[in-house]
Amino acid sequence: MVNSGFDQRGTVNIEVVHKAFSGSKGTLLALKDILLTIHPREFVCIVGGSGCGKTTLLRIIAGLETQYEGAVFLDGKKLIGTGLDRGVVFQEHRLLSWLTVHDNVGFGLAGLPPEERNKDIRHYISLVGLDQFEYEYPHQLSGGMSQRVAVARALVGRPEVLLLDEPFASLDALTRMRMQQEILRIWEAERTTVVLVTHDIEEAVYLADRVVILSPQPGTIRNILPVRLPRPRDRTDREFVRVRKSIHDELFAPGRMAHLAPDNL
Amino acid sequence: MSTAEQNRRLVWKRATAGLTPKPPDNIGRIYIPDRLLGWIIPVTVLLVWELLARLGVLPANWLPAPTVVGETIYQLAVAGDLLKHAGITIARVAVGFLLGASAGTLLGGLTGYLLVARKLLDPSLQALRSVPSIAWVPLFLLWLGIQETSKIALISVGAFFPVYLNLSVAMRHVDPKLLEVGKLYRLSSFQMVRRLILPAALPEYIVGLRSGLGLAWMFVVAAELLGASSGIGYLMVDGEMTGRAAVILASVILFAIFGKITDWAMNAVGRRLLGHRAR
Repeated sequence: MVNSGFDQRGTVNIEVVHKAFSGSKGTLLALKDILLTIHPREFVCIVGGSGCGKTTLLRIIAGLETQYEGAVFLDGKKLIGTGLDRGVVFQEHRLLSWLTVHDNVGFGLAGLPPEERNKDIRHYISLVGLDQFEYEYPHQLSGGMSQRVAVARALVGRPEVLLLDEPFASLDALTRMRMQQEILRIWEAERTTVVLVTHDIEEAVYLADRVVILSPQPGTIRNILPVRLPRPRDRTDREFVRVRKSIHDELFAPGRMAHLAPDNL
Repeated sequence: MSTAEQNRRLVWKRATAGLTPKPPDNIGRIYIPDRLLGWIIPVTVLLVWELLARLGVLPANWLPAPTVVGETIYQLAVAGDLLKHAGITIARVAVGFLLGASAGTLLGGLTGYLLVARKLLDPSLQALRSVPSIAWVPLFLLWLGIQETSKIALISVGAFFPVYLNLSVAMRHVDPKLLEVGKLYRLSSFQMVRRLILPAALPEYIVGLRSGLGLAWMFVVAAELLGASSGIGYLMVDGEMTGRAAVILASVILFAIFGKITDWAMNAVGRRLLGHRAR
């Protein structure tokens, strides 16, 4: 991994020192000392069990969580709140039931002349393969199709970073594998930086340039593993299985000290 | 027949049980389409009623035959009374409903969106809501007189609460996950209300409008029964005073018809507004 500076857009510097949630039972330390640089056009997967703070980390990058100690920088600029420079896809599609696919995709697209706007919307509907469904309503779509619309909506503003929070977790196994291929195709077409949070180790190995392994309570980076397999990756390939196993071992090895791989920072 | 033979036949019978096409169950029976099913009871009742009234089993001054009631409505229409009384009743409902629903929309929207407004207004409005609305009648009559104002005030009160309550609650309960989508795109507060909160609350709001309209019809009856010189409710009182059961029944039927028509119209508007979205 070579960080070529800021000549390419989409570098994310994460410096989350401390993130806690305070509830009725006291405070819960969610994240601690997360230092991570994500390079332009890199596909990074963050894996960890439930409660390790991986979704919180993504929400911090998205600007939806603002109460934390530290900072996140995009191309050297400190991020404050949400912004159109980051596209977000949630685990649920979160489409608006009263809008068509076309209007859902264009929901956040403001300040463009109508022709250009429609062209952009159509381009992204086409990119996610839903040309025939442009004027359908969300309830007429399957789970996988709805998630495609959500991806199109996240991309239509041409963000520098695409943030995906367990986007395929609620899909059936076959649709999920299909969507994993699709997201790689879209990533290659769009050349954005992608950060994807998942608890699915295989998904991480299939997709990522680097896999960031989080350990829970408090959420810290346990390890960062580069995946140097060529794409498209074969899930039954020996090296694939080996990487998958090593991540599995990292996640389930008790009491291992977190250490940082040399290419982390 | 040997036991083995019997067994073999039994097995054969079981194996082929589901294979032979069964004759349709409804052969030899009267087939009635589902949408006609609901008509059976009312039509039968009307026929029996008509029959009993004609035979003199039911006294005419107590329960006149349906045809007599129909005749009464026709006479009212020919004499111009129907237009006059129905017109004034419909006007009262329309004005009262518009006022009440507007106030309900305004206050419901305010309390649904602003926590401060909710904390300030909701307890008082909820307290007022627990007063049975008819209980306001003496006070309204005292304050606003026996003329139109007091009637319209009463109808407005009836229409207000369902509209207020439904809109307020629906706006409060918009899925926070959808609001986060608005936050991602940095919508202003105004855009948030216009593009997310109001469309999301629309189905419940329409339900509120429909029940508000239903209550407006209920309250116009009350208002007209308690002191009016015109309107379908007045016709009822008149029918009672003069011992004409047919007029009372005709009024009841007119209320039912107008109530149903306006509800149907409101429902049609609602469906139009909701477009193709699934509920």
